[in-house]
Amino acid sequence: MRVSQDLVSDVAEVLLTEEQIEAKVAELGRQISADYDGRELTLVSVLKGSLPFMADLMRRISLPLRIDLMEVSSYGGTSTESSGLVRILKDLSAPIDGRDVLIVEDIIDTGLTLNYLIRYLKGKNPHSIKVCSLLNKPARRLVEIPLDYVGFEIPDAFVVGYGLDFGEVYRNLRFVGVLRPEAYES
Amino acid sequence: MDPPEQTEHLPGGVADEETPRGSHSDTVFAHASEAEFARILDFYQVAWEYEPQVFPILWDLEGNLLESFAPDFYLPDLELFVELTTLQQRLVRKKNRKVRRLRELYPGLRIKLFYARDFRALMLKYGRAALVSGLSGTLGQVTPHQDENGSTEPEDRLDALDRAGADAGDADRSEPDSNAEPHPPSERRSRGARRRAVRRAAAAAQTPAT
Repeated sequence: MRVSQDLVSDVAEVLLTEEQIEAKVAELGRQISADYDGRELTLVSVLKGSLPFMADLMRRISLPLRIDLMEVSSYGGTSTESSGLVRILKDLSAPIDGRDVLIVEDIIDTGLTLNYLIRYLKGKNPHSIKVCSLLNKPARRLVEIPLDYVGFEIPDAFVVGYGLDFGEVYRNLRFVGVLRPEAYES
Repeated sequence: MDPPEQTEHLPGGVADEETPRGSHSDTVFAHASEAEFARILDFYQVAWEYEPQVFPILWDLEGNLLESFAPDFYLPDLELFVELTTLQQRLVRKKNRKVRRLRELYPGLRIKLFYARDFRALMLKYGRAALVSGLSGTLGQVTPHQDENGSTEPEDRLDALDRAGADAGDADRSEPDSNAEPHPPSERRSRGARRRAVRRAAAAAQTPAT
């Protein structure tokens, strides 16, 4: 994998500018604040990609809330995954029974990870589970899961930035952009 | 937006813990990309069945079956069929036609066609881009099974014809005669029954439609 020192030069097209993201996050924050008024909200961020979105979104929600972090293993094929099954790498740090849970995701693509997470979290008896995703890429969706809050619907392209990575790089870009094919084909 | 009610996230995609799952270790796949796709489903604990059902999709005017279609996967918890097509783009046209025909005849059926670009993107997402070339197209083809006499199963011959785009008359075969009475949707059947059905379809397909 070849990564330029100038990360921006590996981006073919800026899909969402920093300003667009900021405005959308503020809008989502207002909606969530209104919808959950008077309720016990827990934001559950799914590491690592949703970290910037979580950090910005929580500051745009004007309610008392708790946050928690989860990380699940991603498919890497039989050569690197000994069990061949998804694993919880980091579990919730506090119980969520009786609480309103809002899963905060960076992007929903196939829906496989989210499907697993919802099933897992349901087992912890929350009052409700809803989903907030900054990006929705429906082109390859396998599991149709209702997304309660969506920032942007994006086309079928490999995107990086604002938490989204390729090979753990590009997460720190302040915008969301389409990665040049040369960056992942090399 | 209305205040949130207690959410019922039951999209049909939440697998029951007891749901029996397919196992790629005891399934013979026709293509390496299918085996990889099965591993992904296994990983995320999504139940699957491999080619569990054959759908008749084309008949002649006498009602003889000319063509069938067996989607690669059925995901029972999601009530979704998935067809992978990692072949060269010029050969995808036939799959598109089959899927379109399937949707016409069985409107309640949900099927997702995964193209080569979708599979490639999936591999890229999971950091397995380097394997794409080996899992796609002709390199990913699994040698058809041969019986003790060395002859290929009719099903495999049919698939091979599909892949080569050499199915006699296919290029010229437009949509079927609308007067031909479609047979009722097939029931789930055993692999043996499916093979027999495909053999019949293969034999019937040798006779040009009138």
